[in-house]
Amino acid sequence: MTSRRSLSLLGLFSVAFSSAALGQGSNAGVVEVTSSAKNFPGYVVDDVVVPVPSEIFSVLDKLGEPNWRQELRNLKAPETTDRTRLSLVFGSVVAEGFIAVQAQDKKAVEDIGREVIDLSKSLGIQKAVLPHANAILDASKSNNWPAIRKEFDLTQKTVRETMEKMKDNDLSQCVSVGGWLRGTAAVTSVVGKNFSADRAELLQQPMLVDHFIGQIGKMPGNTKNHATVKAILDGLNVIKEIMTKSTEAFTPEGVSTINKTTGGLLELIDGKP
Amino acid sequence: MKRILAMALLCAALLPLSSHATVDDAHSFAMEAAQPFVNEGFIVREDYWNGEVKSGQKLMVKHQLFKGNEYAFWLGTANDGCTLEIQVLDEKGNPVQITPKVGVGPMFTSVKVNPPKTGTYSILFSITSKTEKGVFWALAYGYR
Repeated sequence: MTSRRSLSLLGLFSVAFSSAALGQGSNAGVVEVTSSAKNFPGYVVDDVVVPVPSEIFSVLDKLGEPNWRQELRNLKAPETTDRTRLSLVFGSVVAEGFIAVQAQDKKAVEDIGREVIDLSKSLGIQKAVLPHANAILDASKSNNWPAIRKEFDLTQKTVRETMEKMKDNDLSQCVSVGGWLRGTAAVTSVVGKNFSADRAELLQQPMLVDHFIGQIGKMPGNTKNHATVKAILDGLNVIKEIMTKSTEAFTPEGVSTINKTTGGLLELIDGKP
Repeated sequence: MKRILAMALLCAALLPLSSHATVDDAHSFAMEAAQPFVNEGFIVREDYWNGEVKSGQKLMVKHQLFKGNEYAFWLGTANDGCTLEIQVLDEKGNPVQITPKVGVGPMFTSVKVNPPKTGTYSILFSITSKTEKGVFWALAYGYR
């Protein structure tokens, strides 16, 4: 995390002369402020921290009692060596872990912990992930849900940092996108089952969608032109349009469309026909 | 001559390490600020922002907040004797009501915010040192 979000003093001073600030990650850095913030003679840290699904789940819990067990999916890792897809799957599996924590489903947490290990082997990052996966499995034995949630957050962070160290920034972004898609599919499912304006408002996330669209746009050609990534880009544009139309309030149809879009993309990521 | 060269290489090798450690110190202080909040039920996110900046320079991060959650932001620095400020703005650039300086120490400050709407917010912050030209910073957050 430290390296990815680093903002160097040298980078800050050089931003006036070059658009490329000297962060350690490809997108780390700052840009001169062009936002609507009034009288702000400063700099925007050009990096986005994507919320974990639990942040939205906690609000849904306050607004009702969603049946999180009903939202859990059966895991079946795709038989592929395609690292782009594996990274997307990794993100979605970690998000599944947050759902399992919300459901307090010990067996699901253990299955997801083992899946995290298998996927990390396929991605060649097992060494970095194993301590977290083991911590998840250990904490599940004592039903220590806060510790499990913390480890899922750490797992995602470690994986993305490891990928960035390996110059796989595009794969790191795929992990984030996969996680966001799975979290959003779960949220729209819960909101769709018991629609209210307050619940639906949680989907007002245009900055995150713009961020993902922007990150895909920066990916190298082979990743950007990957069939699944292209489909995700199309899906994100559909979701963005709904969010733009829903600044006052979401309709049940809008929520349903986001649910179908994210669900369809997750099936594509999983390799289901 | 060889000895001088070896010393120079050693210093060059150690320079980025010490700088890295100092940025990490800023995060450690942000986490020290977070501790009382954890006792109140806040969940600390593992992701955070950090870096090094000119003293007094205002910085801004844009962040998604969800109505219904209470958020806390913890700003830490590794430099002594600094003044730390945080402000939260809504999408239109208007200040959002915060509970300011709910946990303040010599190396950190904190604010709490209940976002009135779900959406993008801007977290503005600065660290001003009386003695240093540049300061190390880390901004972390949690929710409940």
